[in-house]
Amino acid sequence: MSTVVPGNMKPLTRWDVARREIVRAVIAVAIALIATVLIIFFTSKTPVDAFWTLLTAPFSKTRTVGLWVDDVAKLTVTGLAFSLVFQARQFALGVQGQLYVGAIAPTYVALSPLGATWAGLPLGILAAMLAGALYGFLPGLAKARLGANEIVSTLMLNYIAVELCNFLVRVALVAPGSGLLTTAKFPKTTLYPVLVPNTRIDLGLVFAIVAVLAVWFALYRTSWGLKLRLVGHNARFAEYAGIKSNFIMVSAMTAAGALGGLLGSMFVQGQAFGNLTVGFEGGFAFEGVLIAIVARNRPLAVPIVALFYAYLRQGAQLMNIRTDVPAEVISVVAAIIILLVASSFSLPGLTHLRRLFRGATPAPAPLAGGAPK
Amino acid sequence: MPIVEALGIGKVYPGGVVANDGVNLTVEQGEVHAVVGENGAGKSTLMKILFGAERPDAGTLLLDGKPVHFAGPRDAIDAGIGMVFQHFSLVPSFSVYENVVLGSEPHGGIKFDRDKAIADVRALSEKFRLHVDPLPTVRSLPVGQQQRVEILKALYRNARVLILDEPTAVLAPQEVAELFIAIRSLIEQGRTVIFIAHKLPEVLEISDTITVMRQGKTVGRVKSSEVTEHSLATMMVGREVALRVDRAATPKTERVCEVKALHLLNARGNDICRELNLSVRSGEIVGLVGVEGNGQAEVIEAIAGLRAVDGGEIMVANQNVVPMSVLARRGHGIASIPEDRIADGLATGATVAENLVATKLRDKRFVRGGLLDLKAIRTNAKQLIDKYSIRVGGPGAAVGTLSGGNMQKVVVARELSEQPKLLLVSQPTRGVDLNATQFIWRTITKARDDGAAVLLSSADLSELLALSDRLLVFYRGRIVAAFINRADLTPETLGVYMLGLSEQSPAELQAGVA
Repeated sequence: MSTVVPGNMKPLTRWDVARREIVRAVIAVAIALIATVLIIFFTSKTPVDAFWTLLTAPFSKTRTVGLWVDDVAKLTVTGLAFSLVFQARQFALGVQGQLYVGAIAPTYVALSPLGATWAGLPLGILAAMLAGALYGFLPGLAKARLGANEIVSTLMLNYIAVELCNFLVRVALVAPGSGLLTTAKFPKTTLYPVLVPNTRIDLGLVFAIVAVLAVWFALYRTSWGLKLRLVGHNARFAEYAGIKSNFIMVSAMTAAGALGGLLGSMFVQGQAFGNLTVGFEGGFAFEGVLIAIVARNRPLAVPIVALFYAYLRQGAQLMNIRTDVPAEVISVVAAIIILLVASSFSLPGLTHLRRLFRGATPAPAPLAGGAPK
Repeated sequence: MPIVEALGIGKVYPGGVVANDGVNLTVEQGEVHAVVGENGAGKSTLMKILFGAERPDAGTLLLDGKPVHFAGPRDAIDAGIGMVFQHFSLVPSFSVYENVVLGSEPHGGIKFDRDKAIADVRALSEKFRLHVDPLPTVRSLPVGQQQRVEILKALYRNARVLILDEPTAVLAPQEVAELFIAIRSLIEQGRTVIFIAHKLPEVLEISDTITVMRQGKTVGRVKSSEVTEHSLATMMVGREVALRVDRAATPKTERVCEVKALHLLNARGNDICRELNLSVRSGEIVGLVGVEGNGQAEVIEAIAGLRAVDGGEIMVANQNVVPMSVLARRGHGIASIPEDRIADGLATGATVAENLVATKLRDKRFVRGGLLDLKAIRTNAKQLIDKYSIRVGGPGAAVGTLSGGNMQKVVVARELSEQPKLLLVSQPTRGVDLNATQFIWRTITKARDDGAAVLLSSADLSELLALSDRLLVFYRGRIVAAFINRADLTPETLGVYMLGLSEQSPAELQAGVA
């Protein structure tokens, strides 16, 4: 194919591609919202109220804005963890397990004598990240050494971590026989400082922002990141070029594990919880898959996607509380968005319309194109 | 009335590559119509449009004089158009007849009527003189036979127009002759064949009419009887070309690479080669001749470090490289241009600049303290793009948006940006246009003139004859013949040894191998 570009046909720049991706994402969200409207109209007695709540409730009070921002921070970190392994083309789904071990580790720190000192906070975070990194390293090692499929091993490790948390809370961390499913509140010294009073916005937001920049820098400014992306693009080529793809794979999964561990710390040491509770995560970690897919694994796009998605999530939660529509509606929205974005959809009939108007107006960039592979 | 007519076809790929720009094609009923042009001229795109695999952005397609719109290959197949791609789409573990009928199986009720399928395929094969046995598995067949299975597939679906995308690229000369017999038999029975090719002598031999494409446009439609190879080549590239390379006399003293008693096994534990010896001197190009799958590619992979060695030594510059990693071998002066640039030689999703430094991530110029020097990487890319005249928007463009020839130039630029001691080259110009072929030939020859030892494997005999100083013929993992390249050495001579019909005596071999 000729790269000679005559007349008005310019090669697409990075910005054109980014714009196309954004348009696609917005259309996907719009379609998902239309579907939501339909569902609400069929299930609710007060559909207008319900939909209005979904769309505006997160902005109704300072506290709800806080809920939203807190969600953005956490979604960003899980989205980053998934983006990192996805860019290396490892379908490791271990963020959930890393989150749990990253929650258990700081709990031990917090409930130890150290927890009551100033060292409680940094030690808790460090312990969480180390535990998460180890939990990401294990399936990486298993794949490099034994050829264990990372999807299976990470999912299994997730169950182990969830049940380990369950067991420890019931047996070791709470007075036996009390029947409580949650530990005591951590000492104030181990909790993240609040950034905005009377909200959940805390140090976790700073960590999320730092994490975005760190992952972006690692991927696009270091040789490790270039190697990682080359392995992700074409592992055979990487091998041929002399890149140790096993090392890259294991280190990517370990780094993502550290992020997953950090997320665990953001949960239990953050303002939202401040203790370890059985099943505190409720499947949150897997929302990162959606974030990463919609953001096309681009670290800088992750927080933007998280911003919108967290808003919808919070809107749905509040709709659940204030109206008769359950929060599960958000799963429908999420599913539709994933389907549309992952399938590189094109709107049916668009080519037809374009053909009709050809000559009259310049054709818009095709939606169906997708990003360069 | 022409059977197929394409008028003013335009196609722009995402990424802004203009593949077709006002292309016209007129194919008459019952002719062999060749479409020639450099890779990147837009031939493949045009064929994909005819076959419904791509949709044109502009222009009309007429079949039997009536406009048609194909939503996908299914529509094209239903309309009587069949296509055999360069890369076959066959199920290796299925038998020939199963592959042929797959998707349109004859059935009685819900049961697959195997006997009818076998009979149908056998009848079809005889009718068109394709000589394919319906029963063996496709995996067990040589490439030439597999290609005929693809042709049968199209004929089974009643293709009136058969598109062959570079059918001769993978064949030995004798197999090409057989393919041409089959094509003539198709024409006799009223079918129409559209034939895409690079190799002009073949085009002139088989086709009735030739459409020449250049840079996404049609530049002419000529009768084969009225043109010569030379005038056709001129039309394709728009200026005079010389299809030979000049090379300097080199001393050829130092033995840079010595393969001693090499033993390689395939994944199933069978011998690829055993007790294989060869050597390459500095300033010399040694051509490895052989039908694909006879071990020459594997030997090159083993030297590059991409295939495990089960015995023997590979000495490069007086050091055994077998225990070395790929990176260490590259540091030791081995460069390699792999057979399949898309699968092995490039990361198509990454940018040109990134691909150009992928093998140099230990180089202080580009990486310091683990950090990329983006400026140096960009400058490096710009210099190489200029030096190798790679046609690309800029260093930031994804390699996947480039044409085959330009992709190959990216590989060549990366591997030869520093003078190697030993250069391994496999199929350097497969699917590459004439202009880029010339360029790549000159570049390889320059590396040789500057003292590199070059090991070249190619399916294209004219390439081997044009470039090599010595030629080693592989058959089933053994070197069966060795020649010093001289003007009187012909493809036919090599073909006899390639197909295992003859073997040189040990004394003759010794003279050529040493």
